[in-house]
Amino acid sequence: MSSVPAPVIWGVIAGMATINFALRFTPLALLSRFELPRPVLRWLSFIPISVMGSLVASEVLRPGGTWQAPLTNAGLYASFITMLVFRFTRSFLGATLAGMLSFVALRALIG
Amino acid sequence: MSDEPLNQSPAIPDARHSTLQNIVRGCRLGLPIFLGYAPVGAAFGVLARSLGFTWWQAAICSATAIAGAGQFIALSLLTSGANVVSTLIATSVVNLRYVLFSTTLAPQLPNVRIPTLTWLGFTLTDETFAVNIADIRQKTATPASMSGVGIIAWCGWVLGTVVGALAANSIGDPTRFGVDFAMPAMFSALFVALAEDRRHIVVGVVAAALALGIPLLSRVGMPVSSNWVVVIASIAAATLATVVSSDE
Repeated sequence: MSSVPAPVIWGVIAGMATINFALRFTPLALLSRFELPRPVLRWLSFIPISVMGSLVASEVLRPGGTWQAPLTNAGLYASFITMLVFRFTRSFLGATLAGMLSFVALRALIG
Repeated sequence: MSDEPLNQSPAIPDARHSTLQNIVRGCRLGLPIFLGYAPVGAAFGVLARSLGFTWWQAAICSATAIAGAGQFIALSLLTSGANVVSTLIATSVVNLRYVLFSTTLAPQLPNVRIPTLTWLGFTLTDETFAVNIADIRQKTATPASMSGVGIIAWCGWVLGTVVGALAANSIGDPTRFGVDFAMPAMFSALFVALAEDRRHIVVGVVAAALALGIPLLSRVGMPVSSNWVVVIASIAAATLATVVSSDE
């Protein structure tokens, strides 16, 4: 494998650290100090579920950016199993492990 | 015990004792994040080593960036010979969703002291965000518990990276343990955790459909970079929900 030069590695490390922190901290610091208008708050209340919905859909049905057909998609079934396990146990740990196990089993079964 | 929920008591005057208890509670709450991060962090460590990172460069990168997808994208760009600036631009675009998370969390954290706020910002990821938001909705979150979630997540990511980078040659292919499904599994569980009522479920499903539909725009000559899909789909779904439900 080709090696990336050290100055490039350090540049990327320093840049990512700085930019990531700015992206994460700035809104937190500025917007926690005053009241946001109600419509904005309502809009924000829908953001978490929207992000999770689009993340699950992207990761399960378009892993790595390529469409994977639902019927033979081990991840899709495993995702539903994970949701069910969480629904009844309320345990992130249990649900995540159940999801990984069922994914390995299903992948072996249906490729 | 002043284990007071965030929503009722924004300025929490915790005694040292209960702060510690809350941090521990947060660490427990974030344990699945640790389990999800450690193997993915290990995969990052292995990959970083193969690109010429030393084990401690990989560790510093994870410890300061704590950005799962962003870090992997940085590696893949470096592999293809990209320079520092274009690598940083690409990872920043992927990480723009943090602005969304940060903005969403902000109104829940009035009067939180700057050092705590700094740590919460520093450890803000998809998973810590989702776990904390779910906890806030249960009215059980405190700044200390949220810090605990951040601590355990950070430890999982950094420890995983170190182990992966040091054992790069002996681990082999970690995907045979289903590690590649740890994150999707966690997101699936979090989806259910955040689906409070039917309206939320509908919004989530709409966002999912948009996330699958947006990439199809490339067929009509409007290619959207996959880095933007989640951000655009989330903003569109939340906006739609706000407009439609504005009269309630």
